[in-house]
Amino acid sequence: MDFSELSHQGEIRDSLDKILVEHCTPENLKKFDASFKHDDTLLSVLTSQGYLGLGINEKYGGSGENLYDLGILFERLGFHAAPLSLIGCLAEVAQTIQKFSEHESHQALISSILAGDIHTSAILEPLNQDPENPLTRARIDGDQLTITGTKYLSELASISKSLLVSVNSDEGVLLVLVDTDQTNLSQLTTTANTPAFKVDFEGVTTDRSAIIHVHGRGLDALRYLLQTSMVMRSYLALGITEKMTALIAGYTSEREQFGRVIGSFQAVSHRAADCFIDLECLRLVNQQAAINLNTNLDCENDALVAKIWAANACHRISYSAQHLHGGMGVDKDYVLWRYCLLAKECELINGSASQNIDRMGLNITVNQ
Amino acid sequence: MRIEDEILVFEMLIQLSPKQAKLKEELQEYFEGLMTSALQAELNDPNHFEGGGPEFKKAMRTMGGDGWIGLSWKKELGGKELSPIEQYIFVETVMRTGFPFPFLTTESVGPMIAEHGSDWAKEEIATKILKGELFFGIGYSEPNSGTDLASLQTKAIKDTDGYLINGQKMWTSLANFSDYIWLAARTDFEAKNHKGISMFIVPTDDPGFSMTAINTLGDVRTNATFYDNIRVPETHLVGQPNQGWSLIKSQLNLERLALVNHGPVEELYKNVLKLASTTKINNDQYLTDLSWVKHNFAQVYSGIEALKLICWKQTWIMESGQLNMAEASVAKVYGSEFFIEAYRLLMEIMGELSLLKNNSELSILNAKLERMYRTASILTFGGGTNEVQRDIIAMAGLLMPRTR
Repeated sequence: MDFSELSHQGEIRDSLDKILVEHCTPENLKKFDASFKHDDTLLSVLTSQGYLGLGINEKYGGSGENLYDLGILFERLGFHAAPLSLIGCLAEVAQTIQKFSEHESHQALISSILAGDIHTSAILEPLNQDPENPLTRARIDGDQLTITGTKYLSELASISKSLLVSVNSDEGVLLVLVDTDQTNLSQLTTTANTPAFKVDFEGVTTDRSAIIHVHGRGLDALRYLLQTSMVMRSYLALGITEKMTALIAGYTSEREQFGRVIGSFQAVSHRAADCFIDLECLRLVNQQAAINLNTNLDCENDALVAKIWAANACHRISYSAQHLHGGMGVDKDYVLWRYCLLAKECELINGSASQNIDRMGLNITVNQ
Repeated sequence: MRIEDEILVFEMLIQLSPKQAKLKEELQEYFEGLMTSALQAELNDPNHFEGGGPEFKKAMRTMGGDGWIGLSWKKELGGKELSPIEQYIFVETVMRTGFPFPFLTTESVGPMIAEHGSDWAKEEIATKILKGELFFGIGYSEPNSGTDLASLQTKAIKDTDGYLINGQKMWTSLANFSDYIWLAARTDFEAKNHKGISMFIVPTDDPGFSMTAINTLGDVRTNATFYDNIRVPETHLVGQPNQGWSLIKSQLNLERLALVNHGPVEELYKNVLKLASTTKINNDQYLTDLSWVKHNFAQVYSGIEALKLICWKQTWIMESGQLNMAEASVAKVYGSEFFIEAYRLLMEIMGELSLLKNNSELSILNAKLERMYRTASILTFGGGTNEVQRDIIAMAGLLMPRTR
């Protein structure tokens, strides 16, 4: 049992923070508030300094196959409210190909991502509560696949060279790489102003070489993709809630009412302490999930526990932070409001707390 | 090839080491042997919930003989000097069996006496604690000193042949079958509150000692104890005069961790899950087929996972010799409040059946649910009330100003 970080992990966190502090200034963040765009400059800095290789095997120039490393990246992106959505590209596409593909042509995508290209995923579907069972279908004729369906909340799809799509077929669930050019994209405007897209597949054709996994392992690969995504979303949530809690501590230690700082009122400090407790729980369940996923490609309950805590922490800490800041919390000249939007996004994507509780309840009772 | 047939070895595993897992197995086996049906029957009797009966005393002596007392004690004092995680595993395993192991006597008071006691105390008291032959009640709280323990007023006045003790203690649990009280008394009346306290070993067979029972909601008996001109020789003082506070505080983190061990609640969860999945609600459905029942189980499961990790991390922090006050308090607050929530969710699952007492027809799981909810509140105020713990979290964890 070891809760310590490896020596390189502390260094990653520190050096990432240096870059992100410089880029995610309030002035800079303002530019992205209503643009529904990502920070391209930040993406190229992270690329050139090798951060897109976190959690990627050394043979591609990465830091090694440890999801904890990748977790640090998402935690820090969340902490600094960076306008850069990389879970689709780094967690879903790169990690799944790394673990499930035996094809050089697919593995080349990982190198391409480390070089700064975006290849993202198209997994979620409107009104489909069960991402393991996609409504999008691939018709298989010999070697040819024809894909029809609609996906949404695909991150950075407009700059993505290809899309990793989950589909159902006569051969079960498949994960298929599709050229983005063959699809119809339309930009969605989301609550946190992040660039997300609706992707229509109207008879997109490709062949079997676009399937990233060996025959029969589509569902395994999709489950791994979803679990990795859940855990990395929970790391993003950790960074977001960590920052909100730090803002609470800072603000209430300075703001004076009735002749004393409000943080010295027990009612205030205890609500802050409850945020700290949620944060500590989230940190630990994330750590467990990331580390277990390293050695076991199917740890659904660990991933669910992480995401349940993430959703609850996002909700509770966001409203505690807003409340304890008074009007400052909702003032767009202060920093907190952006975190509140990001927190809601993190709370709901990859399954809400209630949805995941439902899922876990099934898992727990099915084997009894 | 990056498929799972290639086993990756990582340094960062969060699980018991093979050696720790083996210890757990060994302990499980040992306690299964120890919990005879006669002992089980005795422990079901409300008068003996907390031990003190003949079967309990027999089991304690057996454990002493087998070397299972004194796990935290240093080797030179006759103990096993187990690491914090190993001690945690021990507590976990004992608690899962339901045996009321007197941790405070054996693992807190014992090593303090063995280390800081007089020669008499070391030979007469410490060795007998290790053998499972002696029991202690803890004399800390008083009618007017609870959370503010350092304000205690029980007096120990020094004279030529020792100390003269007068006062009253509250919530002196286990005093009804203890040989001694581990007593905190004021020896300096001029000094600041916490600088005038000393620790004493006070015999319960002294004519000046008396008690009245306090019966509690959870049917756990505790006591008010009275000290009327009890004279103890100087050998009964433990540690230096007026240094008692540091003794009291020295074991606090370990004690708090033992209070919120995840073992018992996980055991209860498993037992209720097993029962619910075999309980038919109609011809072809079981309780576990109901969606709200599944939800309750999932809520408890995700809570237990967090508790387990918090506790394990605490032991790991202690093992590396660090002290993290905020995280120790997180464990105490989270654990004690989660227990209450978990008992509620599990009781909901079994519904009205959870209301039946142990001696009742149709009662389930030895009426464990019926009893646990009645004992749950003790932990939110006992062992350092959660308000104080939250103060500590805000100050030590978030660097916020001290509250007043």
